[in-house]
Amino acid sequence: MIAARNLSKRVTTAAGPLDILTDIGLDIQAREAVAIVGVSGSGKSTLLGLLAGLDLPSDGEVFLSSHRLNDLDEDGRARVRGELVGFVFQSFQLLPGLTALENVMLPLELRGDQKPCEQATELLGRVGLAERLQHYPKQLSGGEQQRVAIARAFATEPAILFADEPTGNLDKVTGERVIDLLFSLNRDKGTTLVLVTHDEQVAGRCDRLIRLESGRVVADVKEASRA
Amino acid sequence: MIRWRLAMRLLRRNWQSGEQRILVAALVIAVAASTAIGFFTDRLGRGMANQSADFLGADLALVSPRPVDAAWLDKARTTGLQAIETLEFASVVVSGDELLLASVKAVQDGFPLRGSLRTAPAPFATDTATSTLPLHGEAWVVPRLLTGLGLQLGDTVEVGAQPLTITRVLTFEPGQARNPFGISPRLLMRMADVPATGVVQPGSRLSWQYLFAGREVDVEKFRAWLQPRLGPSHELIGVKEGRLAVGSALERAERYLGLAVLAAIVLAGVAVAMAARRYSERHFDMSAMLRCMGASQRDLLGLYLPQLLVVGLLASAVGCFLGWLAQYGLLYLLSGLLPATPSSPHAWPVLAGFATGMVTLAGFALPPVMRLKDVPPLRVLRRELLPLPNRAWLVYGAALCAIVAVMWRYTDSWPLTLSVLAGGIALTVLLGLLALLLLFLSRRLNTRVGVAWRFGLNNLWRRRRGSVSQILAFGLTLMAMAVVALVRTDLMTTWQRQLPAEAPNHFAINILPERQQEFRAFMETAGIATAQLYPMVRGRLIQINGTAVREAVTKEARSDNALNRELNLTWTTRLQQDNRILSGHWWQPEDTGKAKVSVESKLAERLGIELDDELGFAVGGQRFSATVASIRSVQWDSFRPNFYMVFPPQVIDSFPATYMTSFHLQKDDKSLLRELVARYPAVTVLEMDRVIEQVSRIFRQVTLAVEYVLMFTLLAGFAVLFAVLQASQDERLYEGALLRALGGSRRQLRAGHLAEFAALGGLAGLLAAMGTECLVWMLYSEVLHLEYSFQWRVWVFTPLAGALLVGAAGYRGTRAVVERSPMLLLRNQ
Repeated sequence: MIAARNLSKRVTTAAGPLDILTDIGLDIQAREAVAIVGVSGSGKSTLLGLLAGLDLPSDGEVFLSSHRLNDLDEDGRARVRGELVGFVFQSFQLLPGLTALENVMLPLELRGDQKPCEQATELLGRVGLAERLQHYPKQLSGGEQQRVAIARAFATEPAILFADEPTGNLDKVTGERVIDLLFSLNRDKGTTLVLVTHDEQVAGRCDRLIRLESGRVVADVKEASRA
Repeated sequence: MIRWRLAMRLLRRNWQSGEQRILVAALVIAVAASTAIGFFTDRLGRGMANQSADFLGADLALVSPRPVDAAWLDKARTTGLQAIETLEFASVVVSGDELLLASVKAVQDGFPLRGSLRTAPAPFATDTATSTLPLHGEAWVVPRLLTGLGLQLGDTVEVGAQPLTITRVLTFEPGQARNPFGISPRLLMRMADVPATGVVQPGSRLSWQYLFAGREVDVEKFRAWLQPRLGPSHELIGVKEGRLAVGSALERAERYLGLAVLAAIVLAGVAVAMAARRYSERHFDMSAMLRCMGASQRDLLGLYLPQLLVVGLLASAVGCFLGWLAQYGLLYLLSGLLPATPSSPHAWPVLAGFATGMVTLAGFALPPVMRLKDVPPLRVLRRELLPLPNRAWLVYGAALCAIVAVMWRYTDSWPLTLSVLAGGIALTVLLGLLALLLLFLSRRLNTRVGVAWRFGLNNLWRRRRGSVSQILAFGLTLMAMAVVALVRTDLMTTWQRQLPAEAPNHFAINILPERQQEFRAFMETAGIATAQLYPMVRGRLIQINGTAVREAVTKEARSDNALNRELNLTWTTRLQQDNRILSGHWWQPEDTGKAKVSVESKLAERLGIELDDELGFAVGGQRFSATVASIRSVQWDSFRPNFYMVFPPQVIDSFPATYMTSFHLQKDDKSLLRELVARYPAVTVLEMDRVIEQVSRIFRQVTLAVEYVLMFTLLAGFAVLFAVLQASQDERLYEGALLRALGGSRRQLRAGHLAEFAALGGLAGLLAAMGTECLVWMLYSEVLHLEYSFQWRVWVFTPLAGALLVGAAGYRGTRAVVERSPMLLLRNQ
């Protein structure tokens, strides 16, 4: 479903060029749940950005389903994201001016769905926010906001879900509930999950764990081999 | 459709959150100002045309020494115009043994086509407008004719072989205002009575006047048809040519209104740009998120542009409506000036208002909003990522295009638009550099001020890029406000000076030299102050530098009135109050008795007369010449005695002269005129009070209109003020919260903010003072033709007003920094 070949990312800083990712190669199968772990600055989020087509690598290639992202311009990559990808972020990234319902409807409307309201209502019901449809993000708690974000991510039934530190802004108990929800929806919808986290416990729930250090893959282990 | 719905939903949310209020307010101000002034100038223009038509007695007049082809009148009538014929000739009127040269006007039914005649039942009694004409065998005459012949109403005079009974005193006649001096007393009679007089013979000096009136388009159509058929002896007078003496004042007022609106629109544009920039920055996250969800650049434009379009249309609609309402305010203020039943307003000011709104929006708001499509999707992971800044040429280019478009509409001249624009850009760059210098200097001052000021000034320096643009924005705003306010004050002073309450409203001419002292004494006893008594010698200009004048001048100048009649020559040592020497010198004691002359500038220009030219004059049978020692500008609409040719004393004293003067007479003192005319039968009194009254009413009303329009500029200025404050508010809120979290007290923060904004305002004010001085000098000398003087008030009040205004507004705007919990602010960041 996702493939990276010799992926590198280099940026220019005042002190000279800096390699954030070096020679990354990986294949992620459909329905697989993969955790990318590592300390701060190890390049996790950069890798997620490259895999999701939010950014282009300095070297190497990225394939998303059958699309070679290097061949596409930004609008082309956006189209691919619209078709295949959903996102959940650490900072929720809800639009403050829209209600919970409208936030979930947004990707459906962008895609041109005919009944975005019904689908969004149903999804919000599934994440336990049926009573909060007309609330604005700032009227919701952090956990509730992340649940709205999860509902939004699943709204278009994407083949791949990228989650960047989804529990990073939440307390432990709320974080666990959110992760439960994420995994249960992921299972039901048969989505491929790529999850960036520094929480080993969360990572432990994935099928596979990729560990980054200083921009290199230092470990890539499947659940079976971990057990 | 779905995207449209989404765009509208986002728009509604944005509106509810107050995001777009400043943008909308600024746009509404720009459109309302433009629409109101559009309506106003449209109506004023038509009002003035109507009034000029009243003075002319028609919309178009054709003067000819011979009857014109009857087909011309038929053409006028088939074009849809009314057309009548009048005849003027000089004739000696006889009553018993008394003779008097009168200027006879013979008219037909329908005269005048515009305006009305005014008559009184007795000389110098209260007059009323009339729509009737003298009947067959009757005549209406001016008081001068009655006193000149010693007649009363009901007496009979003979014009040629035709006896006419005088039935009314004529006090005002349309067309008369064109030449109040040098005319023989008027006698108005029926055209049908003319043949019986027998005075119209081949070779008689006659002046046929054909008057036309109708719809503006028809008049223009006929004028266009007629123009190429005219011969050199024909003179065509339209309402513009027949414009009143107030022309220059109104022209200035119109230019001022244009300037004020332009300032309002540009200021509103700046506010729109700032508000749009903030709007754009606050939507970076949303755009990044939408990009993540698969929205293409086109999708984003499809979301934001309809919002902008709807905001623009709604704001323009509201602006047009307000402009339309405001126009009624103007209409009220100008009630006497405009026709009693105002024709319905044209639709074009509404269209122009809409265009102004959309052009302003496109020029100032589009570039920052277009930036939203370039937000990198990676921003969802790395918030510090920003879209590439707009290319400078795009931002400034779009704004410049908008300004040029609006400016061209008001100036209607490319050279003027482009030169003002170039000047504006140069001034902005210069002021920007100055702002940086001021900021630098204020930092040097930093060590000598208290903690709050140091905090404030440090803040300014730290954000110097932002500070310079804020100082520039405030400075330009204050400058626009100061210029508009200053010009208003000076315009009004000029008008007041031009027509003070005691402006002379009567002229007395033909005062005999031997009775000069006695006349002066008579007026003094009556408590009437008179202007200087000027001697008047009637003479012709016959040569320029030894060449006969008709050959010395250009072909066009040959028909100049000044060459075809006797001029009033005078001498004096004192330069008239409203005259200015443009070149050469005014009379010194040693010039007395020397053959020199001072010439009025416009006549000199028309006839090509220059300094040191030798002019030949003929007075009676005698000839003499004089050298041009100075060229003088004359303010003809000051209603004071003024002359084309002024000599030093003892040059033309030997010629027979009469004296003239002007004086102010209250309405209630009118009876004095009767006594005056009885005692000095030779003296001719010209009553100008009606014209002057009208002129001063126009001035008063235009003054009100000018003040009204100033309000729009001030409003636009305030919109900029708030937009600038709002633009930097987020950053300030965050910083303030941090400082408070670090232990800064509310008092410290407040004092610091106050100091920062007051310094910002003060510096902006200083900058504005410099800019104002330059701009006012340029405007006065190039556009408004006013006297320029150093504006010390600007240097005191603008920095003060800047510090107060910006200080107060900034203080209020950052209240949230000290009032809201720092926790809340930091968390929302």
